[in-house]
Amino acid sequence: MYVKQSGTPLATAGGPTAAGGRGGPSRSAILLYRWRRALREPTPYLMLVGLTLWFASYYLFTEGWELPRFEKLPGPVEVVTEWFSPDPVWGVSIYTEEYYRHILASCTRILIGFCIATTLGVSVGLMMGWSRVFKDYTFPILETLRPIPILAWVPLAILMFSGTETPVIFLTTLASFYVTVLNTLLGVESIDKSYFRAAACLGSKRHHIFWHVVVPGAMPYIFTGLQISMGVAWFSLVAAEMVSGEFGLGYLIVTSYVNVTYVTIVIGMVTLGIIGYITSAMIRKTGDILMEWRVRTLGGR
Amino acid sequence: MANAAHAYDPPGKTAAKQGHISIRNLSKVYDPEGVNITAVDDCSLEIQPGEVCMIVGPSGCGKTTLLNAIAGFHSISAGEIFLDGELLCGPKKPQASQGADRVVVFQNGALFPWKTLTDNVAYGPMVQGLLSKAQAREKARSMLADAGLGEVADKYPGEVSSGMARRAEIVRALINGPKVLLLDEPYRAMDALTKSIMHEALLEMYDRTKVTIFFITHDLEESIFLGDRVVVMTTRPCRAKKIVDIKIPRPRDYRILHSEEFRQLVAETKDAVHEEATKAFEAGERELA
Repeated sequence: MYVKQSGTPLATAGGPTAAGGRGGPSRSAILLYRWRRALREPTPYLMLVGLTLWFASYYLFTEGWELPRFEKLPGPVEVVTEWFSPDPVWGVSIYTEEYYRHILASCTRILIGFCIATTLGVSVGLMMGWSRVFKDYTFPILETLRPIPILAWVPLAILMFSGTETPVIFLTTLASFYVTVLNTLLGVESIDKSYFRAAACLGSKRHHIFWHVVVPGAMPYIFTGLQISMGVAWFSLVAAEMVSGEFGLGYLIVTSYVNVTYVTIVIGMVTLGIIGYITSAMIRKTGDILMEWRVRTLGGR
Repeated sequence: MANAAHAYDPPGKTAAKQGHISIRNLSKVYDPEGVNITAVDDCSLEIQPGEVCMIVGPSGCGKTTLLNAIAGFHSISAGEIFLDGELLCGPKKPQASQGADRVVVFQNGALFPWKTLTDNVAYGPMVQGLLSKAQAREKARSMLADAGLGEVADKYPGEVSSGMARRAEIVRALINGPKVLLLDEPYRAMDALTKSIMHEALLEMYDRTKVTIFFITHDLEESIFLGDRVVVMTTRPCRAKKIVDIKIPRPRDYRILHSEEFRQLVAETKDAVHEEATKAFEAGERELA
């Protein structure tokens, strides 16, 4: 009766039209509009000014004024010239195979370490959040092991694992594991109690609650955690590569220091920055794909 | 009025003559930090099948404790609750099991934000194994359409208005063919206009299904507009203070709000509610979970 004023005839008339038949501007028009609007905001200009200021002071400190303690550092011009030189003075540039071997070595280790850490970390974190008993068993151990700095593990890692590759991967994994477990646990604990109750009174069994409430409910925290975990993974990877291992960007940086090729150090650092940014962006993107509800809820209005 | 073509046929269940709740001498004592707080004390209440029973009382009086005991979220300290003659909880079984025969609609809304409205509604029959996923979704769609939510069926709860979300939540409860619908101040945070639309939507759904409704509120006019019976509760410890029968014929619409009969009922009940609210205010009680 009175309730049915609100658009019911349409809905009952045709199911398919209800879902996707919304007219409006095309995607490209929306994109263009957003670009235009973005250019009217101060943000892009301030970003440009910030970058310019940063590079200008870097240049002036090192190559321009050659301030004391700065004159030994490689300046931006020198680094960029070397980096993009087909015939690099110190042996590493985007044209040399060696550069990519270092990148590939580091990326492979990150991929393996991050995957192991995520799989284990998310499972353990979900179990801890879901089962009181499991948490009681594991939480004290986790909280004792977690504060131990990753570098303190280096000797044991080398003793425990043979070769040069496995200790490095172990250290990378360990660091991100802790972050992922903790964030996943936090994620489960952040889920509103009424979702559990609602699921229970709709007739769920325990495994339904796990898959339909615990996992999706913890997802936002898990993905925030994964971004931090990726940062930590890079941090510990480079530290581990400096101690042991052949190839890798950390190894490149430390050998460059030993060989007094300072320009290469900066190239290694910048490369780490860029790859780190890309990996974080990839995680964000994956999160957006897996949590469409969040994208649509937060950005939809 | 009632749409006969509507598919309200949960397997093996008929909506009529089910959902008789009998609360007998129920008590609940909370014990936070070693200090006993009696939330409900020796409360008895009979709710007939298909009745809309409105529980009115000041905030924190223990109304929600009553609901939690029926739903099986909390244990009870003494007394018994029966549903259609079967013991839900009693001295030997302090906590009722949780099941789809008593579905709760929560104060702040508990649609899963990660599921579309259709998937939210389809969830119950799907996890109970009553329908396949595809069947459940199809039924969910048709029920949402009947509730005027056909156009937003594929949206996530965060994308629709709170009124729509609350309506979808009631549909999510009704698809299970529950014996009792337990509503815990579902319209508390809504503005008066939205509220009155929600009331009419609820009444329309009730007229179609005749499910027993246990509705908690602190809004007296809401309770008289919706209910067959209004039970005014005392402030903590919670007990039935006054029971008022509402004989306004159904179907009802907002026009009865201006009728003499309605005004009379409000006047008749207001004193009792006001007295308890004053007591609660003076006691400065904080709300219990």
